[in-house]
Formats: sequence, structure tokens, C-alpha cells
Amino acid sequence: MNITTPSRPVIGTPHRPYRRGVENAILGGVCGGLAIRLGVRERIVRILFCLGALVAGLGLLLYVVLWLCLPRADESDAIAQRLLGPRRQLRRVLIGLVAIIVFGLILQALGAPSLGAYTLPIWLSLVGMIGVWRGASPDERRHLEELAKSAPIVGVPGSRTKRSFYLRVILGAILVFAGLRVLRHFGGAWYVASPALVGTLILLAGVAVGLAPWWLATLSDLTGERRERVRVEERANVAAHLHDSVLQTLTLIERAAGDAEAVTRLARNQERELRAWLFDPEHASSRDLAHSYVAQLHEMEAEVENDWGVKVELVTVGDLELNDDVVALVAAGREAAINAAQWSGASTVSIYAEVEPATVSLFIRDQGSGFNLAAVPSDRRGIELSIRQRMERHGGTVALKSIIGAGTEVELVLPRSS
Amino acid sequence: MSQPRVFLVDDHELIRSGIRSELAGAVDIVGEADEVEAAVEMILERNPDVVLLDVHMPAGGGVAVLRALNGRCPEVRVLALSVSDAAEDVIAVIRAGARGYVTKNISGPDLLDAIYRVAAGDAVFSPRLAGFVLDAFSLEGAQLEAADVDPDLDLLTPRERQVLRLIARGYSYRDVATELVISPKTVESHVSSVLRKLQLSNRHQLSNWASERHLL
Repeated sequence: MNITTPSRPVIGTPHRPYRRGVENAILGGVCGGLAIRLGVRERIVRILFCLGALVAGLGLLLYVVLWLCLPRADESDAIAQRLLGPRRQLRRVLIGLVAIIVFGLILQALGAPSLGAYTLPIWLSLVGMIGVWRGASPDERRHLEELAKSAPIVGVPGSRTKRSFYLRVILGAILVFAGLRVLRHFGGAWYVASPALVGTLILLAGVAVGLAPWWLATLSDLTGERRERVRVEERANVAAHLHDSVLQTLTLIERAAGDAEAVTRLARNQERELRAWLFDPEHASSRDLAHSYVAQLHEMEAEVENDWGVKVELVTVGDLELNDDVVALVAAGREAAINAAQWSGASTVSIYAEVEPATVSLFIRDQGSGFNLAAVPSDRRGIELSIRQRMERHGGTVALKSIIGAGTEVELVLPRSS
Repeated sequence: MSQPRVFLVDDHELIRSGIRSELAGAVDIVGEADEVEAAVEMILERNPDVVLLDVHMPAGGGVAVLRALNGRCPEVRVLALSVSDAAEDVIAVIRAGARGYVTKNISGPDLLDAIYRVAAGDAVFSPRLAGFVLDAFSLEGAQLEAADVDPDLDLLTPRERQVLRLIARGYSYRDVATELVISPKTVESHVSSVLRKLQLSNRHQLSNWASERHLL
């Protein structure tokens, strides 16, 4: 590093050696460095280079060559030195150069001599730019990336501002008009220019095809990132859920280890909740669906299992929206289920619900002790009566069947009002 | 009847040992496996009467075992065993060839009963499975696409419907027989016929139904 080199040109005082500028660099610091070297204003050097670029692109080529060959003021090696260091890279550069020259010759042979001669420096510059990008130090690469981001034309969406938007529109419009004018000059009339227009479109298509892999890669990077984010969120959700429910329950179970009944109830509760969450995510998350027959039955199942310590096996076929009649049906079913849990002595209560075109039915069955209908204690009779009254009020029917030693089944049927 | 020869397939050692101790003495356990490939190989080698097959395992699960066995040992009957009674899983293993489906919280005696029944060539329908079938073969669905319905495979007979309804209500086969005043053998043949329909029916609705049910 040369400490005595100023970061800005000192007018009238030339400085050695010629290094690319860092502080006063716009692109590669070639002009800025030359201004320091010569002790002149940077602006003058830049204007000269731009004018040079108009001469068949030679100024551009010179700029790129200097960019490759001059070390940056704060670095010891030039980009070219870094690039040519390993042998393989050198071979690639040579192959690239030969390819460019052959390409130029082909253009010339195809009868577009002026075109070939004009474009050769530009092609060479492009290759040089690729070399610059490949060989740039991380620091310089960062500088170039920032430059690309803040450029109004190629700016990434993130850096889009109102100003850059207008700039882009105006620049785009100017370019389109200029292009159209050139085509008009070229042919003199539109129908003559149309092959050139087609040619331009083909050229654009070619460029698009050439850049497609890069563009697609960027795109898939973005979607990949989005998918990853969704996955992480989902995982966080699962973790949160497991923590809130399963871990809590496990803690409760550990604490209640001595109480077999409590443990069974906790485990059953947790099982039901986890099942609902795993297999019926919509049900578990939204309370809106609690307004269906089946959802009500699931609630009833949970309640009876919790309060009475029996296993409820619920099977449903079909579903319908709640109305007063259905609510009454579920309420009657709840009483029947509680009845079975309380008195039958069976460990399992089976509930079967079916929705048919004309009827809604609910069966509550246990395989417990059963009872003699004629000789029922009055308190139990009361519950049975309340079920019956409730159902009849809503136009339904109750059938009760009990066999001593084999269990009881209550059948509740409600006609569907359309 | 001599003790059926049973083979266990489950990737959880805890579950296998639980089942082993529950069945000890009542059946002849001829082997067990904890993954799909080994299970297929050993089942083909040992030719058990009944395979107790876990539905959820790595590398394809029970369905993968059933597919690999498909047709290679018709005398081996499979009883699927699962913690989940998601419609998708149930329908998938039954259609892949399982003769029955029970959940793992089944009691020891019930499991034994199911094994004996499967060994005898019958189908084992849990109440939940019966409910699924009734739902999947609902009349409303059948009316929708009456044009390409094969009545032999795509519709349940009224009697089959009755039997399934009773099973869904928690009736044992014996209770069903008493209730409908038919012999237990007839109940079994009805259930087997429903199983065949479930396995062979082309109702595209059936698979749709299972996945929709999952989403509902």
C-alpha cells in the first residue's frame, strides 16, 4: 500500500505510481487514478474516456484493459495478475480471446466488415468485464455490487424508488425512440426496415435465451428461500403446539403418576386433542365449524370422557348444519351417554351418528349391566323421561332397548326439516 | 383350531413387546420385523397365517409391505394396526389388500378375536371403518355418477348397509347376527363382500372421498 498517494487528485501536482483510485472511483477507479497520477481534474479524464469510447469503442477497451492491468491503490496485485496466476485460468482467458477474434473474423467474412471492426473492441471489453468480475477482490466486488444495486436501470426491486422509476421510464422511452429512428434511417421506409426489426427481435430473444439460466436461478433462489421460510414457520408452529399441549400434559401426568384415573383422563384428553390437530387441522383451529352436528358431537364426546372417565367411541356418517332441533338431539344424546357412563359400569360408550336424506339419527350404546325397564329407580327414570320429552318436543322419537347383562342402547331419531 | 401363526411388523419396539405380552400363549408368534424390507423377506420365508402390520413406518409404511407381498403369498392374511384412524390411511391399507383394520388402543381380547377372525379368512371391521365405508358409499354420492356405477362393486346392498350400520353402532358380529336374526356366518360373508367392494371398486369417488375427508 502506498501511503503517500492522495485519495483525490491534487491539481497541478502529479503523483506516482499510477494506481486505480479507491475513494474517487465510480466504476473501476481508472479515471480517478489517472487524474491523481496526472494532477488534473477527474472530470476531464472521464470526458476524454467517454469521447474515446465513441471512437469505435476504443476508449472502452482501453478502460477495461487498464482496469485489468492496474492494481487498486490499496492492493498489491492487479486483477490480471490474480486471474493469470493459476494456469487453468490463463488457458481459459486465451481460449476466450481466440474465440472473440474468430467471431470477429467470421462477421467480417459474412460481409459485415464495418460491423465486425466496430464491435470487436466492444466484445473484447465485455470479455474483459467478465475477467474483472471474476478476478475482483472481495472488497472491489462489493463496490461493484452496490453500484449495480443503485444503478437506476438495473436496480433490484429492493432499491426501487420513485426517482429511479422515472429515470428508468424516461431512459427506456429515449432508447426505444432512438432505436426506431435508427431503423428508419437504415431503411428509409418501414417496410425496408422490417427485416432489421425482426433481426433485432431475434437478437433480443437470443440474449434472453442466453441469460435464461441465470435469471431462472435467481428466481428459484427466491422461491426456494420463500419455501424455506414457510417450512421454518410451520416448524415453529408445530413446536409451539407441542409445547403448549403435549409437554404440559406430560408434566401433569408425571405429577399425577399415583392417580391412575387422572392419568388415563389426561392421556385420553391429550390424545383426542392431538388427533384433532393432526388429522382435522381445520376443525381444531377454527371455531366456526363448531356449528355443525359432528363438531357438536365431538365436543360432547370430550365432555363425557372428561367428566365420567369412560372411553367414548364416536363414529359419524355425514354431517349437517346446526339448528334448534339438532341441538336438542345432541343434548338428548349427551344425557343418554352420561346415563350410560354413570350407571352401566361399561368402560366404553359407543356413539353412532348418521345423517340421511330424511332423518338424523344418534345411537348411544353400552355393553354394561343393562336394566329392567319396568323396575327402574325413579331418578334414572327421570333422565330417561327428560330425553323422551326433549325429543318429542322437536318431533323426534326415542327407542330404548336394554338387556340385563348385555347392555343398553338408546336410539334417537329426528326427521329432517328441509 | 390350532393357534394361528402370527408375524409382527412395527417399527416401535415398545409396541411390539406390548403386543407380544398381550398375545402370549394365545397365538404362535413366528417372528417380527421393524422395517419394510426385512418384513417382506421374512414373511415370504416364514409364511405366517396372520401379519399384524403397522400402518405408519418409515420407507412407505404398511402399504409398502402389502404392495411388495401382493399376490406372492395369497394365504397370508394381513391385519392392519395403527394409532391413527384417519380415513386416508384406513382406505389405503384396505385397498392395498389388508383384511382388517384395528387401532392400537384395542383391548387384548378384542385383538385376539380379530386375529382369529382374520386367520379364518374373515374381514375385521372396526366401528370406525364401518362408518367410513357407509360414508364413502353414501347414496347421495352414488346418485351423482349413476352412469358409470358398477352395481356389483360400487353399491352396497341394503343388507350390507344394515350390517355395517350395526357394526358402526358398536355391535359385535354375534350381536349383529342376533339383531338381524341371521347366522354369524352370514354376517361374516356380508362383511367380506363389503371388503371386496372396498378393495375392488373403481369409484374414483372413494379415493377422493378419503382425501377430502382428511382436508375437511
